[in-house]
Amino acid sequence: MNDLPRRSGAEAGAAVAVEGLSKVFPVPFRRKSITAVRDLNLRVEAGEVYGLLGPNGSGKSTTLKIILGLAAPTRGRTKIFGRDSSLVESRQAVGFLPENPYFYKFLTGEETLRFFGKLCRVNGSRLKSRVRELLELVGLTNARDQRLSTYSKGMLQRIGLAQALINEPKLVVLDEPTAGVDPAGSRDIRNLIVDLKQRGITVLLSSHLLTQVQEICDRVGILARGVLVREGHLEELIAIENRCELVLENASEALVKEIEKLATNSNARLIDRRKSTTTLERLFLEATQESESSAKHAK
Amino acid sequence: MSERLHRGFSPARIFAISINTLIELTRQKVFYVLLLFALLLIGCSVFMARFTFQQEFQILKDISLGAMSIFSALLAIVGTARLIPQDIDDRTVYTILAKPIPRFEYLLGKLFGVLLLLAISIALMSALFVVVLYVRERTVLNETLRQMSRAPGEQLDAAVNAIRAAGLNIDILTGVAVIYLKACLLAALTLFVSTFATTNIFTVVVMVFVYFIGHLQATAREYWLEEQSAGWVARTFLAIVALIFPDLQAFNLVDEIVAGVAIPLVLLAKTALLGIFYTAIYTLAATFVFYGKEL
Amino acid sequence: MSRVLFAFAMLLAFGVMKLPAEHALSLQHRSASGGQSDDIANLDLREKIGQLGFVAALSGFRAMLADFLFIQAHAAWERTEWGRVLFLFRQVTTLQPHVPLFWDMAAWHMAWNASAAAMNDPSQPRLALRVKAQREYFALGKDFLERGVKNNPDKPQLHEALARLYRDKYNDHARASEYFAKASALPGAASYDKRFSAYELSYCEGREREAYECLHGLYAKSEKERLPTLIKRLKFLEEKLNVPPEQRIPDKER
Repeated sequence: MNDLPRRSGAEAGAAVAVEGLSKVFPVPFRRKSITAVRDLNLRVEAGEVYGLLGPNGSGKSTTLKIILGLAAPTRGRTKIFGRDSSLVESRQAVGFLPENPYFYKFLTGEETLRFFGKLCRVNGSRLKSRVRELLELVGLTNARDQRLSTYSKGMLQRIGLAQALINEPKLVVLDEPTAGVDPAGSRDIRNLIVDLKQRGITVLLSSHLLTQVQEICDRVGILARGVLVREGHLEELIAIENRCELVLENASEALVKEIEKLATNSNARLIDRRKSTTTLERLFLEATQESESSAKHAK
Repeated sequence: MSERLHRGFSPARIFAISINTLIELTRQKVFYVLLLFALLLIGCSVFMARFTFQQEFQILKDISLGAMSIFSALLAIVGTARLIPQDIDDRTVYTILAKPIPRFEYLLGKLFGVLLLLAISIALMSALFVVVLYVRERTVLNETLRQMSRAPGEQLDAAVNAIRAAGLNIDILTGVAVIYLKACLLAALTLFVSTFATTNIFTVVVMVFVYFIGHLQATAREYWLEEQSAGWVARTFLAIVALIFPDLQAFNLVDEIVAGVAIPLVLLAKTALLGIFYTAIYTLAATFVFYGKEL
Repeated sequence: MSRVLFAFAMLLAFGVMKLPAEHALSLQHRSASGGQSDDIANLDLREKIGQLGFVAALSGFRAMLADFLFIQAHAAWERTEWGRVLFLFRQVTTLQPHVPLFWDMAAWHMAWNASAAAMNDPSQPRLALRVKAQREYFALGKDFLERGVKNNPDKPQLHEALARLYRDKYNDHARASEYFAKASALPGAASYDKRFSAYELSYCEGREREAYECLHGLYAKSEKERLPTLIKRLKFLEEKLNVPPEQRIPDKER
């Protein structure tokens, strides 16, 4: 009986499988209880970037904690690469970056990575090269001898990511990786996630900021009050089937009038007409990049 | 194959956590306690000029060993109480336990870190104490030899013997070992309390309470076992105290040792065994509660 | 929460298991320390040192509390407050009955210092009352030492102190000799205890023969023992016992 799930190819293929998961927190001294997650079913396929989206308090962190075995489910179960989350060995090939991580402030960046490396039984020269590699990857080589108490939020997030990668995991779980990080820092983190995907690492992340993760997620699930309300490929989810947008450059007023007329003639309705704008975030990024590059030129 | 490796118990992993805990505790400036101890010793020796050497040595020993006992208990309680709650507050526990580390290894690592700290502090305090006592003994000895240079050999021998008898005695170190065991026991018990306590203050208050009750436990136990006339409420209370609380009085052998009572080796071994047993049981209870803890 | 309750149940079960061993252990501790550590929990102590001191005494602060009181006693002695010295030393010795030093000091303060002060008390013109007060202090000193000996039967210094008290304050040579002898039989005794015992014996009427045997034994034992006093006492006894001249010790030793 126990062997059955392992034999089915689909089961083994899923990096994360959540089946019928519910989590109820009893409220002390009252008869009430709070349901954080209700009957959740979820699958993250190996190699994809999955975004668990939803507003604050929708049960994202709870779900991630249960998947990582940090909390116990009330009902249902979760598995990582086919192993139940309650087993220590399910976390063998997993890296985790919690929300707003605080590490031991008295350690330097390098010491932090060495500590976590030792916990994963990475030793000796392998640990040394791995630490160097990861510091390089997250761009903290220059800050490696600084205490974490002097790190900025973005740097902490990056050292946290490096720490999650120390044991060369096949699955990386990131809880709100871009929360509280400035746009440049958040872009760096997104680039790192894309980089992970290219190396074939599965990424499961949670976020309440849809715009920040929409460009990197293959699939997203939207949680609201502990229930999965939507799930699927991002383009599918946000596409509005009966609408389409044209973006024109150098179009004369006459041409626009012509197109509007054509549209009316073929029973279509023009809903909106506006000048294109960029997103504020993109504007900010461009502006900071420009100032950086002009500063370089000035030298 | 690598799966095997991860599943097994790993002393190296525990050691990594212990060392980290030791650094953490050191950064919390717990070693100021040692400074306090040094000041106490120096203060003592200044103040003691008015006493004879026998009185001086007696007081020096009592104060040093008493302070060692109290400071190590304090370090054990205050140092341990913060460890787990702090990690949970800072969410460092997530990053650690999201790695393939069994929870008991994490707890053992933390506890061993504290035990390491206690061992270092007690070793330093003992070293300081031994040096001070030895220097004082030498000084008194030299003075006596100078003053009594014309006295008959027999009187001189008697005086020297008296100084030696009042001075440093190797048995004291076994007393220190028992102080260490008591501190270990308290650290393990604090760890247990901290796994279900909601605040650090609660843990510390409970432990201070345990410290005092623990010293009265033997009295409560005797009363419970021998006094049949007490009412059932009193008897139940005494029974709970006798069964749940550790007998801390059993670890105060050092009082007797300083007083010059020779403690048989068997008795010492039994006391040590009791201490180790308590430490193990409390660690086990802490692990049990921690396994069920929602993080 | 249920896990916490279960953990406590576990501790309770362990408590039942450990109980006999722990109980046996504390009985052994007690017998190792001379059967007196139960003093600590008795009401007598609580009366003497008050509630706070009682809790302190039971919480591993016993030795420190005793030292603190001892230092106070020392200060009281410097101010010649004899009643307070007595009061404090009673507490100190109750707290730390296994430290011979405290018994010794208590007795010395009573029998030597307080008694002398009582004898020279300018506020008491009547000699008879001064003598009476002095005797009372002798008795207090004796009482401290007797209890000290009871608590520490293997400590030569307390026997010796008691012997000195009998010798110097009571002129009781038989008792003095007896306690010097007891001290000399214990490990760590001073080498002169045996000799002192014999000296005291030589003053006892009717026990001259016994004293002579002792002193002669010491004389014969080693060159070191042939001190002026020993020779003087031996010659005195030779005279008194009419020892035949050929058995007497040679004169040149004098």
